[in-house]
Amino acid sequence: MEQEPQKKVAPDAAVPEPPASPGSTPDASGEPEQDLRPEDEALVVERLRELGYIE
Amino acid sequence: MQEKPNIILISADSLRANHLGCYGYQLPISPNIDKFAGQGALFEKVFAPGIPTQPSHTTIFTGQHPVTHGIVAHGGKAKLGRMTPFLPEILLGEGYTTCAVDTLFRERIWFGRGYEYIIDPSLHHLFYASVTQEELNDRAIQWMTTVKKQPFFMFIHYWDVHYPYVPPDRMRGMFYKGGNPTDPNNHELDEWWDHPVGAMARDTWLRTSNGLITDPNYVTALYDRELRYLDEGIAALSDSLEKLGLAENTMVVLLADHGESMTDHRIFYDHYGLHDCVVQVPMIIRWPAGNLKAGTRFAPFRQLFDVAPTLLEAAGSDLPEDLDGKSFLPQLKGEAEPSGYDRVIGCESTWQSKYYLRTDRYKFILARYPDLMGNPDRELFDLQADPGENHNIAASEPQLVAEMEKELEAWIAEKMEAAGRTEDPVTKEGPVAVEIWEQHRG
Repeated sequence: MEQEPQKKVAPDAAVPEPPASPGSTPDASGEPEQDLRPEDEALVVERLRELGYIE
Repeated sequence: MQEKPNIILISADSLRANHLGCYGYQLPISPNIDKFAGQGALFEKVFAPGIPTQPSHTTIFTGQHPVTHGIVAHGGKAKLGRMTPFLPEILLGEGYTTCAVDTLFRERIWFGRGYEYIIDPSLHHLFYASVTQEELNDRAIQWMTTVKKQPFFMFIHYWDVHYPYVPPDRMRGMFYKGGNPTDPNNHELDEWWDHPVGAMARDTWLRTSNGLITDPNYVTALYDRELRYLDEGIAALSDSLEKLGLAENTMVVLLADHGESMTDHRIFYDHYGLHDCVVQVPMIIRWPAGNLKAGTRFAPFRQLFDVAPTLLEAAGSDLPEDLDGKSFLPQLKGEAEPSGYDRVIGCESTWQSKYYLRTDRYKFILARYPDLMGNPDRELFDLQADPGENHNIAASEPQLVAEMEKELEAWIAEKMEAAGRTEDPVTKEGPVAVEIWEQHRG
């Protein structure tokens, strides 16, 4: 019933746990920062309205 | 203790079953939901008779198949009949105090039926699906703290794992094995831009400080982070029930309206197509006072239209005669042997207009209109040999295709007759969003 091969965790691959506090982050080096600005969210709404997905 | 249980129905929009540990996922994304499942009953094979959000939730609340209630599309023209049974309305009549922490009523008015209280913190956002589990929980827990009259029914609709996937910043780094999320030479997502939802994602939530996200593994990691965030919310809600002394006689149902296609079948981070990644959904029920054996797993097929009759029976209500679903309460309580359906049927009519008929071994998909992806009108998958539904064997199994098509058409005709319909609602509605898709492709 699985749709995709299950993601396997290699024995030596450490899966990061959630940070102890909101101020600390797991290893995020090199990761980009998403920036969904209000104008982007407005664009999401506009596009989904065009599709008839939302009123 | 009051005789009737409180009921909390949780819908996690777009939650794909096999991204939960208790459904076999290998990453530690859902420890709290997994723990919750260990305290209650888990249904391994639950299917949505209609997708996506609006048809599926209509089925959940009416206990009817979309061919019966008529809502087959998201944003279609059909309206729900006023006399169609509706779960919160019936529970209200049974003396329940009813509350929705949800936004669906803003899109389709029938989703507000039967609620004495409607709380909608998504009003703080431009797009309702941007509402977070924390915002919903804040209001839901506050309401439970102050509600004077029990039993109560509460519906909570979480949107965290629905696009746009924008998890809390503190989760950066989780569930991504490395690579360059914004490699401009990675073109694995390019086909998605041909779809209007993909173009919307490209122009908004996939943009980052480093450029456009191009690695599908990173988008999947964003989904998984949202799921981890949702998992924290389920824990917070569960803890609040304990603190309020409500946990014992509150029946908590956690399910999804549909799953999510990641990149499966060239459908990117969306919920259409009738493959199992989208139509198979999780369902977990915890009810300590209901004598549920903790950690029970049910293997037989169930469908989302079984939820309403089950909850109504738990509430001591008589069941309306025109439900398609069957209560599984006796099985849940260990008073009957586990049983279910030997085949399930479902449909969609938003991005494409199709039906599926699924047995344990085979999935047959029949199109009412040609789809824009160029798939054949008839697809057959051998789920035993090909659980990912990647190899259409319809051409090599014409007799089986004919048999399944005949069975499917007979079932549709029977349901239409029972509902007093003269036209197949999927054929009538057609793929409601496809025109926009065609325009987008130019």
